[in-house]
Amino acid sequence: MHTHIETEDMLLQSLDDIVYASNQDLIQENANVDGQSPMGQMSKFGSEAAKHYAKQKMLSTDVSQAIADNFIHPHDLDFMPTGTTTCCQIPLGKILKDGFNTGHGYMREPNDIGSAMALASIIFQSNQNMQHGGQSYPMFDFDLAPYVYKTFLKHKKRLTNYVTRYTSIEIATIAWHETDRDVYQACEAFVHNCNSMHSRGGGQVPFVSINYGTDTSMEGRLVMKNILLATKAGLGNGETPIFPIQIFKMKKGVNFEPDEPNYDLYQLALETTAKRLFPNFSFIDSTFNYPYYDGSPESEVAYMGCRTRVMANRHGDETGVQRGNLSFTSLNLVKMALLTTSETAFFEKLDHYMTLAIKQLLERYQFQAKKQAQHFSFLYGQQVWKDSDQLEASDQLTDVLKHGTLSIGFIGLAEALVALTGEHHGESDEAYQLGYRIVEHMRMFVDLAAERYDLNFSLIATPAEGLSGKFTKNDQAVFGKIPRVTDRNYYTNSYHVPVYYKIRAFDKIKKEGAFHKLCNGGHISYIECDGDVSKNTKALDTLIKTMSMNDFGYGSINHPVDRCTCCGYTGIIDNECPKCHNNDQEKVERIRRITGYLVGDMKKWNSAKRAEESQRVKHQTSSKDTKQ
Amino acid sequence: MRVMNIIHDSVVDGEGLRTVIFFAGCPHFCPGCHNPASWNIRNGIEMSVEEVVQEVASNPLTDVTLSGGEPFFQAKEVAEVAKRLKDLGKHIWAYSGYTLEQLIDAEDVHQRELLSYCDVLVDGPFILAKKDLTLSFRGSSNQRIIDLHKIDVPLEKASL
Repeated sequence: MHTHIETEDMLLQSLDDIVYASNQDLIQENANVDGQSPMGQMSKFGSEAAKHYAKQKMLSTDVSQAIADNFIHPHDLDFMPTGTTTCCQIPLGKILKDGFNTGHGYMREPNDIGSAMALASIIFQSNQNMQHGGQSYPMFDFDLAPYVYKTFLKHKKRLTNYVTRYTSIEIATIAWHETDRDVYQACEAFVHNCNSMHSRGGGQVPFVSINYGTDTSMEGRLVMKNILLATKAGLGNGETPIFPIQIFKMKKGVNFEPDEPNYDLYQLALETTAKRLFPNFSFIDSTFNYPYYDGSPESEVAYMGCRTRVMANRHGDETGVQRGNLSFTSLNLVKMALLTTSETAFFEKLDHYMTLAIKQLLERYQFQAKKQAQHFSFLYGQQVWKDSDQLEASDQLTDVLKHGTLSIGFIGLAEALVALTGEHHGESDEAYQLGYRIVEHMRMFVDLAAERYDLNFSLIATPAEGLSGKFTKNDQAVFGKIPRVTDRNYYTNSYHVPVYYKIRAFDKIKKEGAFHKLCNGGHISYIECDGDVSKNTKALDTLIKTMSMNDFGYGSINHPVDRCTCCGYTGIIDNECPKCHNNDQEKVERIRRITGYLVGDMKKWNSAKRAEESQRVKHQTSSKDTKQ
Repeated sequence: MRVMNIIHDSVVDGEGLRTVIFFAGCPHFCPGCHNPASWNIRNGIEMSVEEVVQEVASNPLTDVTLSGGEPFFQAKEVAEVAKRLKDLGKHIWAYSGYTLEQLIDAEDVHQRELLSYCDVLVDGPFILAKKDLTLSFRGSSNQRIIDLHKIDVPLEKASL
């Protein structure tokens, strides 16, 4: 342990780094924050001080030691003293229907789609200040459909009041046409809002996601069509929208085959993702999502942002709605592997640190549970969270928080396997089998903890942004640069096959797909394409269908989206814009995805993630070098 | 036959996800060609029909694109490859610097046979002055994407 003086010096050093903006990795730990803006800096001051407080006053000694020793990492530790929880799937329809209070006044139930979507933005904004992670609408299409119908009725009523020769059928047709236009405008405004409401600490926009894809009603379909079209069109100058993260739910019988009712929307979703990287795709029929499905939209799996999944529940309805993750803590598998000489020793070490991580999650939960409903006026006061209608303002949160999940995550399975066997799970079957056993073991351990403490413990495939570099840097300081283990600037995310390893899309989907069912707290796999896929949605369709066949829960396709800020050309820009021949790199915006989020400017990336991006292998190797 | 490279999971060499075989050797020498190294047939590596077919067949996800170089330059063996791949149910695109008309009238029976196994032909030389990056799956606007099932000339007759 550090002495008191030493830790205070470390805190002052961190604050110095912020004042003089000298440490890129500290300031840009997260690419969505402008760490050099005044609010970004103020947020960083608060964050560093709060982290310091949490470490000094709130963690057990053995937990602190494990963090200092680089074995475990509680995410968002800076928020620990505030008692916030990570994320929540917000019941949009319910909140709109009953109206809500933001603290300064009451919002009535909206009467048309424009107001409903404006309020959808406000709900996101209000709830963002209650939590430290993302927010999501689990059934965007179903929740907004009633307001599309209200809009139609309004138009119909107005048209009927005019003296015309239109028949009632013609009036209905015109009314639907006008409604369609209104829905588009509402969607356009919603997308703009999601990218401009800097309501989150540090000048960030809220981390928001929307799930949709299965409502087959005319109204629900209009919502989906127009949110896709507005996303495809982009922001004011055609920029790719960074938020909301969009998740298209795939369901057999609904949108898989040409004769199914929402197949056309699936095609539009493919065209949109080819241009804008969203939507991602989730799979209701997978072996681990389907058992929860009872035909109701609430029972459809909904993912939060970059991967969180909440379904099982020991204390009530098994749905994602009105629930979320309470906090999560990740394990550094690489360091454990580097310190062991046998598989048995590795598993022993793993158990030791999982036990500590569970202890730490429980300690944090106990602190969160002591907070009162009134400390989070919107989250519990407006019944965003399950069963919070049963709480008085001064009630503690213990019972309602039981609906949330406590997750253990992991980083660097690939590098750990290289340390243990000489190969990673992309390279050999033997390493793959061991990798599978490691993750399976973690899941069993987590399931046992759930039994033992009667809380929803789950295993998450960690979405590491800052952490992938931090673990590595600290390990390098101890072990030096061990070839293929610690010699890069980052560790590979969770169970992913390393981005720098050449592997066919089919093999990657098959290998990673098997891990989805093990990581019940959240998972995602990516396939990297090189080339303009907007001209080839059939290729995307093949990949999505293959993901479905390999029991994916959640998948996404990465491909380069560049934009020339001189002429607005969107596509692939190598050295110069193919349209206006601008070759000034400052005027080329390169949109890439890191740990699930899109970022408009790679200059905001931390060094680990920049290194990771530069080494990504595209499964669709470009033939531009060989073709005429 | 001489092969420059076989690439899996391409999204830019035809519709859908494709395994692309880049054959070595090209007689067209188009100015502005991105890969003049493929002109020389000696630059490739020697592969048997069986080896090429095995490599393609190992990927259940992809269809096939014959590219180059000029796939019709080694038509006899490439036709054999194409026949085997067709039997496996693969959909075949071919890129050629020759036009469809030239291939239909080709004196080389193997070129006509190869054409009969293809589903789609992208034809004609790359012409630098007609280069257009906005086109799908082609480099210059003179090149055509031809669905060989929709042309009037029965290709079977042209084959052996």
